[in-house]
Amino acid sequence: MRRALVVLLCLLLPAAARAAERADELSIGISQFPATLNPLIDPMVAKSYVLGMVRRPLTTYDADWKLVCMLCETLPSFANGLAQKFTLPDGKTGVRLTYTLKADARWDDGTPVTTDDVIFSWQVGRNPQTGVAEAELYRRMVDVKAIDARTFTVTLDRLTFDYAALNDFEILPARLERAAFARPVEYRIRSRYDTDPTARGLYDGPYRIIEVSPGSHIVLERNPAWGGPRPYFRRIVVWAVENTASLEANLLAGGLDMVPGELGLPLDEALAFAQRHANEFQIIYKPGLEYEHIDLNLDDPILADVRVRQALLYAIDRNAISQTLFSGRDPVADSFVSPLDWIYTPDVPRYAHDPAKAKALLETAGWHATGNAVRHNAAGQRLVLTLATTSGNRSRELVEQVLQSQWRDIGVQVRLKNQPARVLFGDTMTKRKFQMAMFAWFSAPEDVPRSELRSNEIPSPANSWSGENFVGWRDVEADHLMDAIETELDRPKRAALWRQLEALYAEQLPALPLFFKADPFILPKWLAGVTPTGHEYPSTLWIDQWHAVGRGAEARAQ
Amino acid sequence: MSRFVVRRVFEIMVVLAIMSLVIYALIGLMPGDPVNVMIASNPHLTPADAARLKALYGLDKPLLERYAAWAAAALHGDFGYSRLYARPTLAVLLPRLGNTALLMGASFALTLALAWPMGVLAARRPGSWLDDVANFASFATISMPSFWLALMLILVFAVQLGWLPPGGATTIGAGGVADRADHLVLPVITLTLVNFGPHLRYMRAAMIDTLNHDYIRTARAKGAGEARILTRHALRNALIPLITVVALSFGSLFSGALVTETMFAYPGMGKLIYDAVLGNDYNLALAGLLFATLMTLLANFAADLAYAAADPRIAYR
Amino acid sequence: MSALVQPRVRFGGGVLLVLTIAVLSTPFLAQALGAHADTVDLYHRLAGPSLRHPLGTDELGRDLLLRLLEGGRVSLLVGITAALAAAVLGTGIGLLAGYFGGRLDAALMRLTDGIIALPLLPLLVVLAAADLHKLGVPAALRDSDAMSLYRIIALVTLVGWTTVARLVRGTTLSLRRQDFVRAAEALGASHRRIMLVHILPNLATPIIVATSLAVGEIILLESVLSFLGLGVAPPLASWGNMLTGAEETIALAPMLAVYPGLLIFLTVMACNLLGDGLQQALDPRQRR
Repeated sequence: MRRALVVLLCLLLPAAARAAERADELSIGISQFPATLNPLIDPMVAKSYVLGMVRRPLTTYDADWKLVCMLCETLPSFANGLAQKFTLPDGKTGVRLTYTLKADARWDDGTPVTTDDVIFSWQVGRNPQTGVAEAELYRRMVDVKAIDARTFTVTLDRLTFDYAALNDFEILPARLERAAFARPVEYRIRSRYDTDPTARGLYDGPYRIIEVSPGSHIVLERNPAWGGPRPYFRRIVVWAVENTASLEANLLAGGLDMVPGELGLPLDEALAFAQRHANEFQIIYKPGLEYEHIDLNLDDPILADVRVRQALLYAIDRNAISQTLFSGRDPVADSFVSPLDWIYTPDVPRYAHDPAKAKALLETAGWHATGNAVRHNAAGQRLVLTLATTSGNRSRELVEQVLQSQWRDIGVQVRLKNQPARVLFGDTMTKRKFQMAMFAWFSAPEDVPRSELRSNEIPSPANSWSGENFVGWRDVEADHLMDAIETELDRPKRAALWRQLEALYAEQLPALPLFFKADPFILPKWLAGVTPTGHEYPSTLWIDQWHAVGRGAEARAQ
Repeated sequence: MSRFVVRRVFEIMVVLAIMSLVIYALIGLMPGDPVNVMIASNPHLTPADAARLKALYGLDKPLLERYAAWAAAALHGDFGYSRLYARPTLAVLLPRLGNTALLMGASFALTLALAWPMGVLAARRPGSWLDDVANFASFATISMPSFWLALMLILVFAVQLGWLPPGGATTIGAGGVADRADHLVLPVITLTLVNFGPHLRYMRAAMIDTLNHDYIRTARAKGAGEARILTRHALRNALIPLITVVALSFGSLFSGALVTETMFAYPGMGKLIYDAVLGNDYNLALAGLLFATLMTLLANFAADLAYAAADPRIAYR
Repeated sequence: MSALVQPRVRFGGGVLLVLTIAVLSTPFLAQALGAHADTVDLYHRLAGPSLRHPLGTDELGRDLLLRLLEGGRVSLLVGITAALAAAVLGTGIGLLAGYFGGRLDAALMRLTDGIIALPLLPLLVVLAAADLHKLGVPAALRDSDAMSLYRIIALVTLVGWTTVARLVRGTTLSLRRQDFVRAAEALGASHRRIMLVHILPNLATPIIVATSLAVGEIILLESVLSFLGLGVAPPLASWGNMLTGAEETIALAPMLAVYPGLLIFLTVMACNLLGDGLQQALDPRQRR
């Protein structure tokens, strides 16, 4: 009987014992399995997270939000002569950039990354039939020429301040992918990244993929041809666990070592987890560039009045929400620029929680209240608004209800209308059938919000509902500022322009700024070197710097 | 008899065809499409990109045309590509089918193993304390919301006591029979308890009915033992109408499985259908729902055949 | 009435009565406590029971007792309305099937059995996710607060009529053969007249029994759909959607998960007991 019990116990507790032995292995749990591994198709966080371990982009933003070279040797600039102004045939000013690939850049079958690959990748990316999701960059690259096996020039059709950033230019192995590109329209189905992801020669990063179990996990091992510093972990397994309670359970059981912030636990669940288990893990909260805000439809007669918009912002207590619901991890936003971005300025109109001021503003705007009732104007119309957000998102639903309650205190009745993301973004926002909508933008450092705020990007029947200026902001000065910023190469001058734009935004309030969301990283105590980035380029791009400290360090000496 | 079989098979196919069109139309009523979601969450996509991607995915043709294309392919065994999982639909569906079958099978067996004996014993002495307990148990479990029961079980056994995992089918890094069994315990208990009530009541009613018949009295008069009467005479006859009940409960068993799988994040067909519908994955949702309908129709059909086989008085023409 | 002597009827009916009274007295309770069901108080989240909040507060600091009562109002409203609608629909179908018999009966019963046999929940999930705009629902209705209520009532009625239909059909079949109906036929009464004037009044018993059984089923169905996010939508509280969020705070505040479900359980049990008791008391043939 006792023996049976012992056997039973041994069967039930295998995971913890096993984890301790695998000193040179790392298990990562993410909340979604990448639908595809092709770098060009379908922008997905899960995909870019995994690909960050096995592929290297030409350039990217690092954890300090600076542009750095990954596959190239030097960033082209006017100072070092690798960037030159160029007049295009139609008279506009473009820029010609020269890049040199690193000498030790190799695909995992040993062959070097060459300009052949670069030119092939450009052809794939700019072909309209390929199904590339982010084709904008490829369209800007009007010409790519090889100078030698490692050096090439790129001609861009406009000169913007971030001219050297070719972060989304994905370099593919020409030798392996050419066959799939024979019929461009079939590329996305025939690409080896999906049909044969464990093939040799697809990856030029510190790791390569050796096993893919769709829907379940991906196994990676060190890339023998990698020229950079040798990564610590011999083997990495990325598990996709859709259910967050299971993610937590597996963390506690030892089957998973870490859950990254890019796509792991939502912040409120991570906070709850931290309350119970902070001593057993290191938990890093990285505030980032996810700008949670409420878009206001400026063509709505009620919201067209800036005093109403300002009143709405004065009425809500964003600090309290951040403190109580998010343990202060989500910094309050004053405009669309994150406090961590170098262009941020605190010199903008700020809206502290001030219900009295809100009420006064509404009175001036013509909305009168009798007692505690909903306000009405001279025409007898009631101050009733509708707020929409993505359904199924628990923390958003909670925030909505708090806001609704705080707005009720100043006499504004707000109806909540939640829709699934695909409805909200696919139909409601695009066709501008909303009054107020709460959601988030996810962007890169110093990202000019042209498609969200420029007056020519308002979706309408005339332009087939394209563009993302859902609020309908038509401000001539804002347009000029955005155009000027894009082409201003001088940093201090650009900073001044950004300050003006932020101040204008905060004063006019085409949207109500809420928070910048923080991503929680749950890491084991023995893991060091993980640097959350806070923007769309994942922390796995520096996976060669991750290492274990004081955990069977002797075992890994191989 | 064979005419009956042929006719039923034909009926099943007709129902399936109708259901497929109905479901396809319903899913077509969903607003928006995946490309628009991609656009709104990615500031770098331009309108030209959007139009291009839509055409590529074939989302710009009218509903009936798309249905006809789907149906034609389906008849050749091609249920299309799942957008959510980027793999052929059947490749996603079939493993999950196995998981659900395991869950449903285990819980159904346990349900009957609990309900039928209790029903029989309760029927023997109607009005006794045993009968009262059985009745109360069946009322209580019929009235219980399945997802709440699941929550309570998770609360007690996974969160507070930590004896069992709160969800999933396996523990990462482990595997094997013991681990899978571990993960099945709570879902199976939930599904069993929820479906247990009706089966107890039907068995009880059927037994009481049977026990009142003359041939039972005859058997008793002839001196047969109680146990023998119950099993050999009463039970066999009571089982016949119960076959219908068992078959009809298949549909609700599947519905219960959907809730249970969602609660426990168990990778089965119920959860797959739910995710597919909410994720606007036409092909996957359609295939999943059709499979569920097909299984139900087959269960009913099997019940009819079993009924005919069990009761010599019934003959199908 | 003999029905009232039945212990099940008394217990079930009693519980429902207490619940209804509690729900109706919510406004008074709210005044006494000095709060509303949706008064948010961020600094007192997930608090335990106290004088101000007899059952504590939820994840936004709202009084739990008031939320539960509010949820009860919605759940009962949906349950009773849908049950009545299902009763009407089911009576109609059962009456037609039982009266005309023959192929109509066979077809209708096939339909009824078909619906009972189908895996309902997956199909309801699909129906609940449909876009109201594409269905042609006018904008004013679509944007109203109560749209999710109307939708859930409609959905639940669509599948809840089967119990009533079957019981009504059975009773109609036997009533059809009785003398008073034959007499009416002989006198040349139209089908409609016979059904409405002669048969329908005698269907009171099966309709009452079936409806009370249906209420329990319907409340369960509504709570599942609301739990999955497809039924009653927040900020309207329903017991089902109060449990949606409880799953995540289950480690920190388990009682948030216990109370709403407990109330669903008690209410549905009361309905089932009531229905069962009525059936035993009023329907002598069903007595066991």
